[in-house]
Amino acid sequence: TKWAGSLPKYPATNLALQNFDATYKLQLGEQWPSVRVSLLCEQKYGALSNNFSDNEGVIAHLQSQGCRDIVSCALDVGTRGMAASSHDKPTSIESITVSPDMPTVSLSPNIKCLVFPRRDVSRFKPSRPDAHGLLGYYLMDAASILPVLALDVQEGQSVLDLCAAPGGKALVLLQTQAIRFLHLNDISWGETERDTFDRVLVDVPCTTDRHSVKEEENNIFSRVRTKEKQKLPQLQLELLLAGIKAVRPGGLVVYSTCSLSQLQNEYVTERAVHLAREELGISLQVADLRPLTQLFQDTFNFAPDPYLGQLVLPHLTANFGPIYMCKLQRLN
Amino acid sequence: RLYCSTDRRTNQPSLSPKQLQPGRDLSLQALLDMGFTDAQADQILEQANRSRGSKIENAASMLMTLFVLGLNTSSVVKVLQKCPEVMYVNGTHLQQRIDNLRRLGLLEGSLQRVVSHYPPILTLPLKRVNMVARFFREKCAFTVQQVTEILRDSPAVLQTDLGQLEYKFQYAYFRIGVRQPEMVKSKLFRVTLDEVRCRHSFLERRGLYQTPDKKGQTCIINPKLNDFLNVPEETFLNDIAKATQEEFEVFQKLMAKEWQEEDDEQERDTGA
Ligand SMILES: C[S@@+](CC[C@H](N)C(=O)[O-])C[C@H]1O[C@@H](n2cnc3c(N)ncnc32)[C@H](O)[C@@H]1O
Repeated sequence: TKWAGSLPKYPATNLALQNFDATYKLQLGEQWPSVRVSLLCEQKYGALSNNFSDNEGVIAHLQSQGCRDIVSCALDVGTRGMAASSHDKPTSIESITVSPDMPTVSLSPNIKCLVFPRRDVSRFKPSRPDAHGLLGYYLMDAASILPVLALDVQEGQSVLDLCAAPGGKALVLLQTQAIRFLHLNDISWGETERDTFDRVLVDVPCTTDRHSVKEEENNIFSRVRTKEKQKLPQLQLELLLAGIKAVRPGGLVVYSTCSLSQLQNEYVTERAVHLAREELGISLQVADLRPLTQLFQDTFNFAPDPYLGQLVLPHLTANFGPIYMCKLQRLN
Repeated sequence: RLYCSTDRRTNQPSLSPKQLQPGRDLSLQALLDMGFTDAQADQILEQANRSRGSKIENAASMLMTLFVLGLNTSSVVKVLQKCPEVMYVNGTHLQQRIDNLRRLGLLEGSLQRVVSHYPPILTLPLKRVNMVARFFREKCAFTVQQVTEILRDSPAVLQTDLGQLEYKFQYAYFRIGVRQPEMVKSKLFRVTLDEVRCRHSFLERRGLYQTPDKKGQTCIINPKLNDFLNVPEETFLNDIAKATQEEFEVFQKLMAKEWQEEDDEQERDTGA
């Protein structure tokens, strides 16, 4: 075992940073320093309200501390621009139009995610269980609700979460209380049915950029995981294609990662669209996510002019993300 | 006012030995004789009276020493305003302290400027001043000349905890990777430790600064300490960090939290 000790001991976090410096400086240009410092500083969380718990008091308390629900704020942004809509009966999904020349966005007002305002660096206390042992809220990267919102789940639909563990986005999905059937899948389950689901979320394993520059433990940039890291784009492509197969014609697939890497984001999506057409005979249309992102511009810092999908760039004043998402509609 | 004969050329009172007899009572007339205006004299007397119990019979010799040093009446008033404690330093001590500062290399011009700018320097015992000077030479390997420059530019180091000074020096030497001449040039010891660490960490995390390796090499070209420390914040942000003030503001808040947590952790570890 003597030779093992002679391997240079480079911390994986350093290797990750070196890799990012080389690739993201080219990709993000002048924005990279701002993103870099944000990745290396404390991230911001959102508190996802758990509608199944008795948490009215807890949420009111958070609001009194200055938190606001980013989904209802987005709904306000949306309604400001148009004539008052008919709000007669409460629904689990509301449709809003950002501007006349853009498609409508539907948001579920049942999803409540509280955040502290821009520039505020206060932290949430860990949630405590209520009388029935249910947590009042879950802490997560607030930007991770975006892929779920992009999925545009309608009342009574069936949804597949293809890479569900540990279940953060599945929790967001459940908060809508609109889903008829939610199928959770992760590594150990086999093939899923084809042409079945109304909605499919493909939240793939990736280089988890924020984690990789901060934590040694379980770091994908450690030398022993080099092979696994190199195979990521291939695995991501396969998972996205599996999602495309599982969705019904007319249904929607959302692909997402928590990496900034074009290789894992845009290139995988492009390649999947190409292969689906060439090898599976499935045509897909890339949906415009701008109507959605416009509603959340006050909260998140989106990359300017992405050529495919949308990317939340971490920024010190709004230190969420990175989250990449791309929405595909299956046409046939 | 008739007695107030001020030498116009140097704006210094011309003094007769009688006027400035050491130990002489500090009366309004005596102060007017020294060339103070009514208002200035009132102010000095008021200050002296506030300190009943302290030995103010030294005041006259103290004032004389300051005049001899070359300060004019308005500078003296300012010194006493900034640091009333100077009032109670006896004239002999004061002279010793001034001589000691000369010995440390603060020559005419610099000496007067330091005293006017940082009068508490006159209240410090020789022992303290010499200990700090020795600390800089022996613990931080500054040359005699460099120590003089530090005292001239940042006299407040004389009242700073030595542990804190050592930490700042080590941070600059090992983390920032700069040598003594650059520390002196950038007036490192004039800036608070938090400010030093904030500016440096901000650049480092933005990917704009790297600690040089053992051979002093880096993969990027580092900005000079003097260019990112010894400049106003606006210049630092616009020219060096290329960041907005908002970002830096949030960064400073986050750093304060990080350091607090590090300290707490250390305390826990050593306490256990
Ligand atoms: C980014 S995580 C998903 C996070 C989750 N959606 C959430 O929001 O909590 C990616 C997941 O993909 C899973 N995974 C890896 N390979 C897979 C495979 N071949 N099939 C399905 N899931 C896989 C991993 O176990 C990991 O839990």
